[in-house]
Amino acid sequence: MAERPYRQNIKIRFSVLHRFLHLVVMIGFTGLAVTGLSLGFSSTAPARAFIWLVGGSANAGWLHRFFAVITYSCVVVHAFWFLYYKMVLSGKLTGPLSIAPSVKDLKDFIQNLGYFLGRREEPPRFDKFTYMEKLDYWALFIGMNTMGITGLVLWFPEFFTRFLPGFFVNIAQVLHFFEAILAVAVKFFIHIGLAHFRPAVYPADTSIFTGRTSQEKIMVDHPGEWSVISESDDSSGERASSVSVRAS
Amino acid sequence: MGIAAAIVFLFFAAAGSLMAGQDAAGETEKPVCLDCHRQPNINTNEGVQSSKAFCNDCHAKPDCRRTVDGKDVPLQVSAETFNDNPHQYVACIHCHTDVARSPHRTAIGGQCRDCHTVHGEGTAHAPHLRIDCQACHFKHKFVRLDETDNRVKLALMNTDQQPIGLVDHGLDDAGNEQSCRRCHQPHNTVGAPVSVLPAKSLLCVVCHPSSLGVGHPIFWVALITFLGGIFLMVRFWFIGSVQGEEKSLHRKISLSSDAVWQTIFSKKVLTVLRVVVLDIILQRRILKNSVQRWSLHSLIFLAILIRFALSLLTGLMFSIDPDGRLALVLIDKNNPVTAFTYDFLGLCIFLGVLWAVIQRLVVKPAHVKTEIEDNITLGILGLLVILGFIAEAARILMTQLPAEVAVYAFVGYPLSEVLAFMPVDWRSAYPYLWYAHAIMGAVFVAYLPFGKLKHIFNVPLTHVLEEVSGIKKEQRI
Repeated sequence: MAERPYRQNIKIRFSVLHRFLHLVVMIGFTGLAVTGLSLGFSSTAPARAFIWLVGGSANAGWLHRFFAVITYSCVVVHAFWFLYYKMVLSGKLTGPLSIAPSVKDLKDFIQNLGYFLGRREEPPRFDKFTYMEKLDYWALFIGMNTMGITGLVLWFPEFFTRFLPGFFVNIAQVLHFFEAILAVAVKFFIHIGLAHFRPAVYPADTSIFTGRTSQEKIMVDHPGEWSVISESDDSSGERASSVSVRAS
Repeated sequence: MGIAAAIVFLFFAAAGSLMAGQDAAGETEKPVCLDCHRQPNINTNEGVQSSKAFCNDCHAKPDCRRTVDGKDVPLQVSAETFNDNPHQYVACIHCHTDVARSPHRTAIGGQCRDCHTVHGEGTAHAPHLRIDCQACHFKHKFVRLDETDNRVKLALMNTDQQPIGLVDHGLDDAGNEQSCRRCHQPHNTVGAPVSVLPAKSLLCVVCHPSSLGVGHPIFWVALITFLGGIFLMVRFWFIGSVQGEEKSLHRKISLSSDAVWQTIFSKKVLTVLRVVVLDIILQRRILKNSVQRWSLHSLIFLAILIRFALSLLTGLMFSIDPDGRLALVLIDKNNPVTAFTYDFLGLCIFLGVLWAVIQRLVVKPAHVKTEIEDNITLGILGLLVILGFIAEAARILMTQLPAEVAVYAFVGYPLSEVLAFMPVDWRSAYPYLWYAHAIMGAVFVAYLPFGKLKHIFNVPLTHVLEEVSGIKKEQRI
């Protein structure tokens, strides 16, 4: 860390925990998609090749549950982080630094459409998370819970049918299958398209991996966030989102 | 063996009567060729039912019996023992794989492991590898040690030397400790310890393949002490503030975790790997200091490290494929390779400790400063290993392991020959030895973050930090 000269004023956008969770979910989700799609479309050639590679459908199922466990444990860790953020750090759940949806997101969306259509000179003044990033986040966070519940019903049908009627297993199967396709479509196309293939960051936005972004980038892409952290820059040492790293 | 096997599975006489065309009710129903010569598909419900119906033609009837040594043995398999049985939808020949032929007798008995895998340490200890599944899982009370293959099996005779028909297919709750008392009781003939011992705990993984549970209360105490010690140690690292703030724990964690992240995802990870291999595993810095000190330290450190790695490998291989050859070799204490390896590594630790004791108490070179902590550490390690070897020797005696199998434990076996001179019932003594070794192991783990052994956490961390942050050699600790 010492020898790398920072040309720009580096800001930390994602804490180590969030980088780590993203990395694990990235691996876990990809594993789930590969094993799950291979099981769901087992007659196709790529699926047969993959199933052969892992030594049979039972092993693919085992891997699918393994990836499910590591992916969902990230949701659990994230929930604990939320408690820590609220209780210990007394963090705010709303405002420009929050991931929570707000009315401003709707306005941003309309303004952004206007910008795309040439009706506005400037893009909207996004906060720390744009409405696209919030959509990405909530799609995954809600999706992992619903996929987790239906997946658990399919994993332990004997347990769940002790108190649920048997057709819930069929419903779980249908929901799990179609939501999986939805999730894969959203993550592999919309998320990667919005987060990494935007002209501003193409070919990839590395901030979720390095945790770092530049002051200039925040000022351009997230002016709403900048107006908050620039006021409280010196006093906000405790807030992970705005810990500044000494450039040396 | 042939006769014994025939008694176990009791099909022969029944088949004989069928071939003669006299069925039990005296009806004259001549068997046609396809009654026997067919292959029902026992992977379907229809196949299972038709296959079972064929067996039940004889074995459901009360007069399905056999005479062994002039004694009458019932061969009737009653439906009741199957109705509440996980195997009720399984064909007889699914498990009794070698009876559907002429002569109608079995050489191998019922096969469980075509479908089921062996247990890990958590469910049953490694010595149970020499126990037939049926000996625990069936409701029969009588067990015996077969000296031809040194396996514990269901007995064919009861205590009054009356032959038993093993027709009850009902399964026992083997998780119930009461069922363990079939063997684990005084005066058992199969070489089991007189009391039911707990499974090896997660703490034992330092030296032995173990279960994932904590188990017995002594291990809980040790684990809590260990974790508490680790917590105090880590807390100590985070005392003090970064820039004189009041509360800086969160900031310190942020900065240190960020530094770790930046190191892992950069070229510096290679430096870390180099330090881990050369300075931590191979102990280069001690070797540069003195070959003698390196040898002494490595005897203890490398032996424990290899045993730890072997335990982890065993757990990994067992969870991937419990019936794999490597997994079975690794969990079997009596396997020649495993027995030799563990004895050899244990001996290394013992010699290392002995050498250290001689250095500290007899030779007393000027650079060695002996404190009470050193003596405690060496005492714990030495006792742990000695008790381990005595427990192993007692186990060899108790289980009546044949010399040609036991000899690969080249420390434990000679020791067992010595112990054999002592007029002790090792089935009664073994639990005490086991607990003594286990308590010593628990003390060892609990003491790790407190005494001299703390250095196994501090020193590697210091090496890595010094190297990564580029501290010059002369300034290093």
